[in-house]
Amino acid sequence: MRAADVLGAEVLGPDGVRLGKVLDIRLVQDGPMLGADCALRIEGFVVGKRWLASHLGYDRANVNGPALVNAVVQRLSADNRFLSWDDVAQLAPGRVEARVSQLGPVPTLVDGQIKT
Amino acid sequence: MTGRALDLTLHLLDRQVLDQDGGMVCNVDDVEFLVPDDGAPPYITTLLTGPAALAPRLGGLLGRWVLSAYQLLGERHDKEPDRIPYELVTDIAASVKVSRTRAEMGVHPGEDRARQYFVDRIPGARHESS
Repeated sequence: MRAADVLGAEVLGPDGVRLGKVLDIRLVQDGPMLGADCALRIEGFVVGKRWLASHLGYDRANVNGPALVNAVVQRLSADNRFLSWDDVAQLAPGRVEARVSQLGPVPTLVDGQIKT
Repeated sequence: MTGRALDLTLHLLDRQVLDQDGGMVCNVDDVEFLVPDDGAPPYITTLLTGPAALAPRLGGLLGRWVLSAYQLLGERHDKEPDRIPYELVTDIAASVKVSRTRAEMGVHPGEDRARQYFVDRIPGARHESS
Protein backbone atom coordinates (compact mmCIF):
# COMPACT_ATOMS: atom_id res chain seq x y z
CA MET A 1 0.00 0.00 0.00
CA ARG A 2 1.28 3.45 -0.92
CA ALA A 3 0.86 6.71 0.99
CA ALA A 4 -0.93 8.08 -2.10
CA ASP A 5 -3.64 5.46 -1.46
CA VAL A 6 -4.28 6.88 2.02
CA LEU A 7 -3.62 10.63 1.78
CA GLY A 8 -6.92 12.27 0.84
CA ALA A 9 -8.88 9.10 1.66
CA GLU A 10 -12.37 9.52 3.06
CA VAL A 11 -12.64 8.73 6.80
CA LEU A 12 -15.96 7.20 7.81
CA GLY A 13 -17.34 6.65 11.31
CA PRO A 14 -19.03 3.42 12.49
CA ASP A 15 -22.41 4.63 11.25
CA GLY A 16 -21.01 5.63 7.86
CA VAL A 17 -20.93 9.35 8.64
CA ARG A 18 -18.09 11.28 7.03
CA LEU A 19 -15.49 12.48 9.52
CA GLY A 20 -13.21 14.17 7.00
CA LYS A 21 -10.27 13.24 4.84
CA VAL A 22 -6.79 12.00 5.70
CA LEU A 23 -4.57 15.08 5.62
CA ASP A 24 -1.41 13.48 6.97
CA ILE A 25 -0.05 10.27 8.45
CA ARG A 26 1.61 10.37 11.87
CA LEU A 27 4.57 8.00 12.07
CA VAL A 28 6.57 6.74 15.05
CA GLN A 29 9.96 5.10 14.70
CA ASP A 30 9.41 2.05 16.87
CA GLY A 31 8.33 -0.54 14.31
CA PRO A 32 10.21 -3.72 13.36
CA MET A 33 13.96 -3.43 12.81
CA LEU A 34 14.86 -2.55 9.22
CA GLY A 35 18.60 -2.22 8.73
CA ALA A 36 20.19 -0.27 11.57
CA ASP A 37 16.98 1.39 12.81
CA CYS A 38 13.39 0.66 13.67
CA ALA A 39 10.84 1.12 10.91
CA LEU A 40 8.46 4.09 10.83
CA ARG A 41 5.06 2.67 11.68
CA ILE A 42 1.70 4.39 11.47
CA GLU A 43 0.57 5.91 14.77
CA GLY A 44 -2.56 7.49 13.33
CA PHE A 45 -4.05 9.90 10.84
CA VAL A 46 -4.63 13.65 10.88
CA VAL A 47 -8.22 14.05 9.70
CA GLY A 48 -9.80 17.26 8.47
CA LYS A 49 -11.19 19.18 5.56
CA ARG A 50 -8.67 21.90 4.69
CA TRP A 51 -5.64 20.36 3.01
CA LEU A 52 -3.63 23.53 2.41
CA ALA A 53 -4.01 24.95 5.91
CA SER A 54 -2.97 21.65 7.45
CA HIS A 55 0.13 21.36 5.30
CA LEU A 56 1.57 24.51 6.81
CA GLY A 57 1.98 22.58 10.06
CA TYR A 58 0.50 25.17 12.41
CA ASP A 59 -2.03 22.69 13.77
CA ARG A 60 0.47 20.06 14.92
CA ALA A 61 4.14 20.85 14.45
CA ASN A 62 4.79 23.47 17.14
CA VAL A 63 4.80 26.29 14.57
CA ASN A 64 3.39 29.59 15.86
CA GLY A 65 4.65 32.53 13.88
CA PRO A 66 4.19 35.05 12.36
CA ALA A 67 1.30 35.85 14.66
CA LEU A 68 -1.14 36.93 11.94
CA VAL A 69 -0.54 33.83 9.80
CA ASN A 70 -0.68 31.68 12.93
CA ALA A 71 -4.06 33.12 13.93
CA VAL A 72 -5.60 32.64 10.48
CA VAL A 73 -4.25 29.14 9.84
CA GLN A 74 -4.98 27.93 13.38
CA ARG A 75 -8.57 29.03 12.87
CA LEU A 76 -8.78 27.27 9.50
CA SER A 77 -7.29 24.11 11.07
CA ALA A 78 -9.43 24.20 14.21
CA ASP A 79 -11.60 21.31 13.00
CA ASN A 80 -8.67 18.94 12.40
CA ARG A 81 -8.80 15.77 14.49
CA PHE A 82 -6.61 12.73 15.11
CA LEU A 83 -7.60 9.14 14.39
CA SER A 84 -5.37 6.72 16.28
CA TRP A 85 -4.44 3.45 14.56
CA ASP A 86 -6.09 1.62 17.49
CA ASP A 87 -9.41 3.14 16.40
CA VAL A 88 -9.08 2.12 12.72
CA ALA A 89 -11.51 -0.67 11.82
CA GLN A 90 -10.49 -1.02 8.19
CA LEU A 91 -7.92 0.53 5.90
CA ALA A 92 -8.38 0.34 2.15
CA PRO A 93 -7.15 2.51 -0.73
CA GLY A 94 -9.21 5.72 -0.67
CA ARG A 95 -11.19 4.72 2.41
CA VAL A 96 -10.54 4.54 6.15
CA GLU A 97 -13.23 3.19 8.49
CA ALA A 98 -13.07 4.25 12.14
CA ARG A 99 -14.43 2.44 15.19
CA VAL A 100 -15.31 5.74 16.83
CA SER A 101 -17.44 8.66 15.73
CA GLN A 102 -15.72 11.27 17.92
CA LEU A 103 -12.05 11.98 17.21
CA GLY A 104 -9.64 13.67 19.58
CA PRO A 105 -7.44 16.73 18.99
CA VAL A 106 -4.25 16.40 16.98
CA PRO A 107 -1.30 15.81 19.35
CA THR A 108 1.47 18.36 18.81
CA LEU A 109 4.95 17.31 17.77
CA VAL A 110 7.74 18.95 19.76
CA ASP A 111 11.33 18.05 18.85
CA GLY A 112 10.29 14.76 17.30
CA GLN A 113 8.19 13.69 20.28
CA ILE A 114 4.43 13.58 20.63
CA LYS A 115 3.29 16.07 23.28
CA THR A 116 0.30 14.68 25.14
CA MET B 1 16.51 7.95 16.86
CA THR B 2 14.22 5.16 18.01
CA GLY B 3 10.79 6.30 19.11
CA ARG B 4 10.79 9.70 17.47
CA ALA B 5 7.63 10.85 15.75
CA LEU B 6 7.07 12.71 12.51
CA ASP B 7 4.32 13.52 10.07
CA LEU B 8 4.67 12.04 6.62
CA THR B 9 3.81 15.05 4.46
CA LEU B 10 5.50 17.58 6.74
CA HIS B 11 8.73 15.72 7.40
CA LEU B 12 9.37 13.06 4.75
CA LEU B 13 7.52 13.46 1.44
CA ASP B 14 9.23 15.69 -1.14
CA ARG B 15 12.48 15.76 0.87
CA GLN B 16 15.78 15.58 -0.98
CA VAL B 17 17.58 12.25 -0.78
CA LEU B 18 21.37 12.56 -0.40
CA ASP B 19 23.83 9.74 -0.89
CA GLN B 20 26.80 8.92 1.37
CA ASP B 21 28.94 11.45 -0.48
CA GLY B 22 26.38 14.24 -0.09
CA GLY B 23 25.33 14.00 -3.73
CA MET B 24 21.71 14.59 -4.67
CA VAL B 25 19.97 11.32 -5.51
CA CYS B 26 16.27 12.07 -5.92
CA ASN B 27 13.23 13.27 -3.97
CA VAL B 28 10.93 11.17 -1.81
CA ASP B 29 7.81 11.19 -3.99
CA ASP B 30 5.88 8.48 -2.12
CA VAL B 31 6.43 5.66 0.35
CA GLU B 32 5.27 2.07 0.46
CA PHE B 33 3.82 0.49 3.59
CA LEU B 34 3.76 -3.13 4.58
CA VAL B 35 0.41 -3.96 6.18
CA PRO B 36 0.89 -6.89 8.62
CA ASP B 37 -1.79 -9.59 8.56
CA ASP B 38 -2.07 -9.58 12.36
CA GLY B 39 -3.56 -6.08 12.52
CA ALA B 40 -0.35 -4.44 13.71
CA PRO B 41 0.25 -0.92 12.39
CA PRO B 42 1.58 -0.69 8.82
CA TYR B 43 5.20 0.44 8.52
CA ILE B 44 7.31 1.97 5.78
CA THR B 45 9.45 -0.50 3.85
CA THR B 46 10.38 1.49 0.74
CA LEU B 47 10.85 5.05 -0.45
CA LEU B 48 9.43 5.59 -3.94
CA THR B 49 10.76 8.14 -6.36
CA GLY B 50 10.28 9.34 -9.90
CA PRO B 51 7.29 10.42 -11.98
CA ALA B 52 5.58 7.05 -11.53
CA ALA B 53 5.56 7.66 -7.77
CA LEU B 54 4.61 11.33 -7.97
CA ALA B 55 1.79 10.99 -10.51
CA PRO B 56 -0.73 9.20 -8.22
CA ARG B 57 -0.18 11.90 -5.58
CA LEU B 58 -0.83 14.65 -8.09
CA GLY B 59 -3.93 12.91 -9.37
CA GLY B 60 -6.30 14.23 -12.00
CA LEU B 61 -5.26 15.41 -15.44
CA LEU B 62 -1.80 16.52 -14.31
CA GLY B 63 -1.08 13.13 -12.77
CA ARG B 64 -2.18 11.29 -15.90
CA TRP B 65 -0.09 13.61 -18.07
CA VAL B 66 3.03 13.09 -15.93
CA LEU B 67 2.56 9.32 -16.00
CA SER B 68 1.99 9.27 -19.77
CA ALA B 69 5.09 11.39 -20.40
CA TYR B 70 7.12 9.08 -18.16
CA GLN B 71 5.89 5.98 -19.96
CA LEU B 72 6.68 7.54 -23.32
CA LEU B 73 10.08 9.02 -22.49
CA GLY B 74 11.25 6.95 -19.52
CA GLU B 75 13.92 4.30 -19.61
CA ARG B 76 11.62 1.36 -18.85
CA HIS B 77 8.34 2.56 -20.42
CA ASP B 78 6.33 1.23 -17.48
CA LYS B 79 4.40 2.60 -14.48
CA GLU B 80 6.74 1.30 -11.79
CA PRO B 81 8.52 3.88 -9.62
CA ASP B 82 12.16 3.65 -8.63
CA ARG B 83 12.61 2.19 -5.16
CA ILE B 84 14.95 2.76 -2.24
CA PRO B 85 14.66 0.12 0.51
CA TYR B 86 14.15 1.73 3.93
CA GLU B 87 17.11 -0.30 5.22
CA LEU B 88 19.39 2.09 3.32
CA VAL B 89 18.09 5.19 5.13
CA THR B 90 20.57 6.43 7.72
CA ASP B 91 18.98 9.75 8.73
CA ILE B 92 15.80 11.75 8.22
CA ALA B 93 16.17 15.46 8.84
CA ALA B 94 16.08 18.42 6.43
CA SER B 95 17.14 15.83 3.88
CA VAL B 96 17.03 12.04 3.81
CA LYS B 97 20.44 10.38 3.86
CA VAL B 98 21.09 6.93 2.46
CA SER B 99 24.09 4.62 2.76
CA ARG B 100 24.69 4.07 -0.96
CA THR B 101 25.61 6.25 -3.91
CA ARG B 102 23.20 7.30 -6.62
CA ALA B 103 24.96 5.06 -9.13
CA GLU B 104 24.71 2.03 -6.82
CA MET B 105 20.97 2.52 -6.32
CA GLY B 106 20.25 3.01 -10.01
CA VAL B 107 17.39 5.45 -9.53
CA HIS B 108 16.48 7.74 -12.45
CA PRO B 109 18.49 5.86 -15.12
CA GLY B 110 16.89 7.98 -17.84
CA GLU B 111 18.10 11.15 -16.16
CA ASP B 112 21.61 9.71 -15.86
CA ARG B 113 21.60 8.76 -19.52
CA ALA B 114 20.39 12.24 -20.54
CA ARG B 115 23.23 13.75 -18.53
CA GLN B 116 25.77 11.38 -20.06
CA TYR B 117 24.76 11.82 -23.69
CA PHE B 118 23.34 15.34 -23.79
CA VAL B 119 23.83 17.69 -20.81
CA ASP B 120 27.49 16.88 -20.19
CA ARG B 121 28.30 17.60 -23.85
CA ILE B 122 27.02 21.17 -23.64
CA PRO B 123 30.03 23.50 -23.45
CA GLY B 124 30.48 24.64 -19.85
CA ALA B 125 28.27 21.90 -18.41
CA ARG B 126 31.07 20.60 -16.17
CA HIS B 127 31.90 24.01 -14.68
CA GLU B 128 30.29 23.69 -11.26
CA SER B 129 29.73 26.83 -9.27
CA SER B 130 30.91 25.33 -5.98
